[in-house]
Amino acid sequence: MPQFPRLWAALKFIAPLLLLLLLWELLVRSLGVSPRVFPDVEAVARAGLETIQDGTLLRHVGASLGRVAVGTLLAILISIPLGVAMGVSPAVSNFLTPLFRFFSVLAGIAWIPIATLWFGYGFGAITFVIFNAVFFVVTYNTLLGVASIPPQLRHAAASLGASKWTMLTEVLLPGALPNIVTGIRTGLGFAWRGLIAAEMIATNVGLGYMLFLARDFYRTEVIVFGMIVIGILWLLLDRLLLAPLERATIERWGMVRKA
Amino acid sequence: MKRLVLRDLSKTYFDPYAGAHVTAVQEVSLEVQQGEFVSIVGPSGCGKTTLLNMIAGFIPASGGEILLDGRAVDGPGPERGVVFQSFALFPWKTVLDNVAFGPKIRGLSKAECERIAREYLALAGLAHAADRYPNELSGGMQQRVGVVRALANNPDVLLMDEPFASVDAQTRMTLQEELTRIWQERRPTIIFITHDVGEAVFLANRVVVLSKGRILKEIAVPLPRPRAWDLLTEDAAFKALSGQVLQLVRSA
Repeated sequence: MPQFPRLWAALKFIAPLLLLLLLWELLVRSLGVSPRVFPDVEAVARAGLETIQDGTLLRHVGASLGRVAVGTLLAILISIPLGVAMGVSPAVSNFLTPLFRFFSVLAGIAWIPIATLWFGYGFGAITFVIFNAVFFVVTYNTLLGVASIPPQLRHAAASLGASKWTMLTEVLLPGALPNIVTGIRTGLGFAWRGLIAAEMIATNVGLGYMLFLARDFYRTEVIVFGMIVIGILWLLLDRLLLAPLERATIERWGMVRKA
Repeated sequence: MKRLVLRDLSKTYFDPYAGAHVTAVQEVSLEVQQGEFVSIVGPSGCGKTTLLNMIAGFIPASGGEILLDGRAVDGPGPERGVVFQSFALFPWKTVLDNVAFGPKIRGLSKAECERIAREYLALAGLAHAADRYPNELSGGMQQRVGVVRALANNPDVLLMDEPFASVDAQTRMTLQEELTRIWQERRPTIIFITHDVGEAVFLANRVVVLSKGRILKEIAVPLPRPRAWDLLTEDAAFKALSGQVLQLVRSA
């Protein structure tokens, strides 16, 4: 075993990325690729530094993250109570499951045209796309989570004197939490992809817009830099926030992931 | 005296596979006195779990009534504690919080809940496991938690549904001995469902043999306590009683 397991894990994660960087530089230089087709590593680094220094990156990232935060929080606030309410009744949950499964798959990019018709271009349309991406997946997973709590656990709580409210807060919500967290993680993944797509079409600020604008000026180095930022931001969000949350609930309790 | 009275208790339900109504429990009448330990034994399908589920209030009766201390039972309630075959511990709560759950929702203070929970955990030799999560414990330990969780809520009747059926044979004997010891110390009223004749006789003051939804016979078990398998396995009275119950169950 290596002495620093975390450092070792980080190295193992970074090593293939470094290899990719090396190959990229080698190929671009040896083949003499035009910067209009694909930039070299240095040009991307320079473009990155530039956008950081003049504040455009921060502006775009801020706009994108703001939309994700608002859309996701709104969706979570509505979908968890809704999912619990539907999951409590087997009849209702069985009836609605196909519907939510359908919209879970549809959620995201497919809503962009109708979103721009309803909300116009800008914040509203994009937030709506994110809301949809998260809302259906989290509702569906919450419903599934509540419905799959063993009936014995509800019986046990009732026999210990649990009221309806206690049942909700002490059994249904914690019992469904692993599914809810998985739902949020999946939903945010959809939302992030939907966000970039929506920003290319429906706004004039944000990471997706930054990429699309750079295309008009053949600035491939800005496009590639933007793509790297999008990937890194998602990795950070997923690794630092969502994955630990999922581990904390599922593994600690020894619960089987159901979704 | 808090007596549990079953009067002409019946349960029929529609079996969609048979396409007919099936009677699981048929006009069962039984009285259990406070502090009594009653085993209900019978082959699978005899209706014993259905009977317990009705007493617990998980399923409604089709006919007859259940009276606890003169009051009709309607739905689950804290005066009837239940120990499940599947343990049914809350996996997201520590052992301490599982046991403190009943006292907590009764509105007792945090300190008082913890005191009660620790007292009962000690009673089952689980003091060291208070901060563990259920999935970190063996099956035998989990069911010890299941038993004291129900006891810590101080129910009038403790309903146990084949609680030791899913642990290994050695652990089962230990748990049975521990249960008789706890019963002697605390004298809870216990209704214990099992298909294991030896277990039924070993634990109870009275064994009720159930067959095809009816009570076949009630047999008193006047064996001395404390009971231990080392002493009883070769005991003539125990063997005679077990043999008698076994014959009834097999003839059922």
